[in-house]
Amino acid sequence: MTFSIHLPVVLALSLASLPAGAQESKEPSNSWNVFADQVFTSDGDVIKNAMVRVQDGKIVAITPGTSAGSSDSSLRASAMTAGMIDLSARIHLGFGSVEQTSEIMPDMRVSDALDLFDEAWMRTAKSGVTTVLANPRDDDVIGGLGIALKTAGKATIAARTLKADAVLRGAIGSQPSSRNHPAFGSPADIFSRRPTTRMGVEWEWRKAMYDAAASRGDKSRVYRGSEHVLEVLDDKLPLCIQAWTTQDIRTAVFLKEEIEREKLGTPKLIIDAAAEAWKEPQLLVRSKAMVVLPPFPLQGRTGEGSFMAAGTAKMLSDLGVPIALSSHGAVAAELFLDRQAGMAMRGGLSFDAALAAVTIAPARMIGVDARVGSIAVGKDADLVLWSGVPFELTSRVVGVLVDGRLVLDPRPPQDSASAK
Amino acid sequence: MSQKITRSLVLAPALLTSLFAAPVLADGKLAIKVGRIITMNGPEIVNGVILIENGRITAVGTNLKLPWDAVVIDQPKMVAFPGMVEAHSARGMDRPNENIDVAPFLSVADSIDPVGFYFEDALRWGITTINVQQGPECVIGARGMIVKPVGITIEDMLVKPDGGLKISASPKRGNSPATQQQALRAAFADLRTYLDDIVRDKKQGGDRAKREALFQGRDLEGEKSKGKPMGGSAWKVEGLELIPRGEIDEKQEPLLALVEGRIPAFIYCARPMDVERALEIARTNGFLARTTLVCYTACWKAADSIAAAGVSVVLEGPLVQLERDPITGKEIETFVPKIFADKKIPFALSSTNTTTESLWFQAATAVGLGLPREMALKAATVVPATILGLQKRVGSIEVGKDGNVLLFSGDPLSVTAFVEHVIVEGKPVYDRSKDIRVKALLEGKQPPGTAAADENGKTAPATAAHPHDDTGTVPLDEPEPKKKD
Repeated sequence: MTFSIHLPVVLALSLASLPAGAQESKEPSNSWNVFADQVFTSDGDVIKNAMVRVQDGKIVAITPGTSAGSSDSSLRASAMTAGMIDLSARIHLGFGSVEQTSEIMPDMRVSDALDLFDEAWMRTAKSGVTTVLANPRDDDVIGGLGIALKTAGKATIAARTLKADAVLRGAIGSQPSSRNHPAFGSPADIFSRRPTTRMGVEWEWRKAMYDAAASRGDKSRVYRGSEHVLEVLDDKLPLCIQAWTTQDIRTAVFLKEEIEREKLGTPKLIIDAAAEAWKEPQLLVRSKAMVVLPPFPLQGRTGEGSFMAAGTAKMLSDLGVPIALSSHGAVAAELFLDRQAGMAMRGGLSFDAALAAVTIAPARMIGVDARVGSIAVGKDADLVLWSGVPFELTSRVVGVLVDGRLVLDPRPPQDSASAK
Repeated sequence: MSQKITRSLVLAPALLTSLFAAPVLADGKLAIKVGRIITMNGPEIVNGVILIENGRITAVGTNLKLPWDAVVIDQPKMVAFPGMVEAHSARGMDRPNENIDVAPFLSVADSIDPVGFYFEDALRWGITTINVQQGPECVIGARGMIVKPVGITIEDMLVKPDGGLKISASPKRGNSPATQQQALRAAFADLRTYLDDIVRDKKQGGDRAKREALFQGRDLEGEKSKGKPMGGSAWKVEGLELIPRGEIDEKQEPLLALVEGRIPAFIYCARPMDVERALEIARTNGFLARTTLVCYTACWKAADSIAAAGVSVVLEGPLVQLERDPITGKEIETFVPKIFADKKIPFALSSTNTTTESLWFQAATAVGLGLPREMALKAATVVPATILGLQKRVGSIEVGKDGNVLLFSGDPLSVTAFVEHVIVEGKPVYDRSKDIRVKALLEGKQPPGTAAADENGKTAPATAAHPHDDTGTVPLDEPEPKKKD
């Protein structure tokens, strides 16, 4: 996979560098002059006819009012945005990788289960998503620690990692309890256990929180992984909970509020797949929870029987609730993140807010905005080139750079050929 | 039918008041003034007027003198676009797949549900002409019908009664490709044997055809009492003129119509291998000239055969084919419409569903993937109109055509533009601002009949009509939803 990622790049570059003759660059270059008619920085600016200089994987300069040069290291497109960030990409895990020995697994690291050789990474990268939050599957109440990583680059976790232990991931709702059953009747197996209901799921959550808080003074309350739950309580690690329906969103919010009221801690809460956030948006405003939205469904119906209004993103954005859009692991092209931004705009969200919701907002949610999420000098050169106005159906992603490496080449094939 | 009408009358009040309420038009004159008209027949018109009288477009241009009694729709910010045309759809019916292998004596007219949600949705997304055909699970299927998504009876909806015969070159469930093709050939061989038999019987002084016709209770008066020599180009049964046309078995007549080139055929091809077999049946039975292939994505591989045969295509399925090379493992993406465009094969886009894969969505996506804009727009209007033989009636905004006009809030292919108004045959039939279902989808407000306010601000008792709201949740700090005056 390492090769299949780099091979086209190596080829394109070696072809490109041959005419120059002198230099023989076999290493993939990650220095470029990237030109676009419009550069949407995600910092509120639109820079016309700008060049973004990329050197050694970083953005080193942004020069407005320049036209494209013709060197081999120049790329150009109609529009440029920062690489998109998907906090619910779910491209990485098979079902068998869920740890099932307990419902509370805060010390599991999803990074140990990721298969970077899966082609889904490349597909995701080529769709313009350059950073993802990889989380454990939601079959446990607390599934473990998520990791923020790049979608392309050297195929090692170390090389791709943006932030290890980015969130503590868990789920509320029917999924964690769906396969469990009581210990009587059928032969005992690993699923003969609690929780078997939403009530049980919530009980597991509160027990994990209270035990972790108590473990500060009483070492007998320490349990496996409780130190990570403690980090959540101490606001050192965001808590990312999947909750589709308004019922489950309430549970998540009430959990956070209870922890604060009982002075157990001050967790930072990200609610993932919050399809029904539109029903009680004031809850989210009141509790300062952040929201990751799943893809906009056809007729409103989506996961766990929830209903998502097309205006959800706009409503939350207008109320000041931090929102990020996500693909929630969708495989259909029309549900990819670039299309989701368009669908959110169709629901009334402004272009600027839609752009933020796929770039800088998710970066801020998991605390990686110093490196990714906008086009600024010093940041990682994660760039997306568009054939037209971003997020319009009539535009598409034509070029992608991750850490300055060309993942999708915007140059038409004959150009790289004629460079020979 | 009577059952359907009764049902529609029960459903009617909620739906029709909002969606199908048409202002009374004096002498059916309607003038539409908009900021921009995309005519699909020549250049765009800025600040133009479309005049529709008695359902037909009578003038298009700027600075037109309007009849004093015309109803005027004045929307200077909106963009007028011709009503889009769905060249082939198996939706809008109650059970679209007939079990009998060869069933050309059936008609979708008996299966179409006029108040079905599909037709309402079609209007919402700007589709004003639909060729309803039975599903692909057949050998020779029912006769299709071209309708507009307006009206509560089949008669109201009718645009053109004979939309053509559906044939499937892809095996129906349980068939192998070989049995499917044999069944197709057998259907036409049976027709020939039947025609030979009745002609021989007649020549020998028999009246078998007549007795069967009388037994079936068919009308043998007028034109039907006359015989005609067999038309068509592929094969002929000599002496068919001896048989009055009304006497021909109704199970065989549609196939004879096909062979004589009187009706069109829509042949479904799921895979490229089906294309040649579809063309063979059409060629050997003389209806190639009236054939349209309904091609699923992968059929682009047979594009050369299609181009050589000179037939048109309706594209179904994803616009991009993703394949994996079996040896190298490399993923190969093929953008299908471009291939047909390059080979100059006329193609129409089609909706997979009416929401995210409606015609406008498909057209916009195709532009994003590299199809020229004009071609994408034509593939949703002019081309399907031509495929349906309705090129003189629909597909563009020009004088003499049906007054089917969409008013978009922006460019028709923009992700933020919506169909705001739909005018069908000169009658305003859809107004987005009054579309309660769009409101519910957009804002999450409950449809009428549930606790949330209806259009008039009246609250009806809550029912379980809205499936997502059976939890009885009450907003905590949120004020009551704003009620519209």
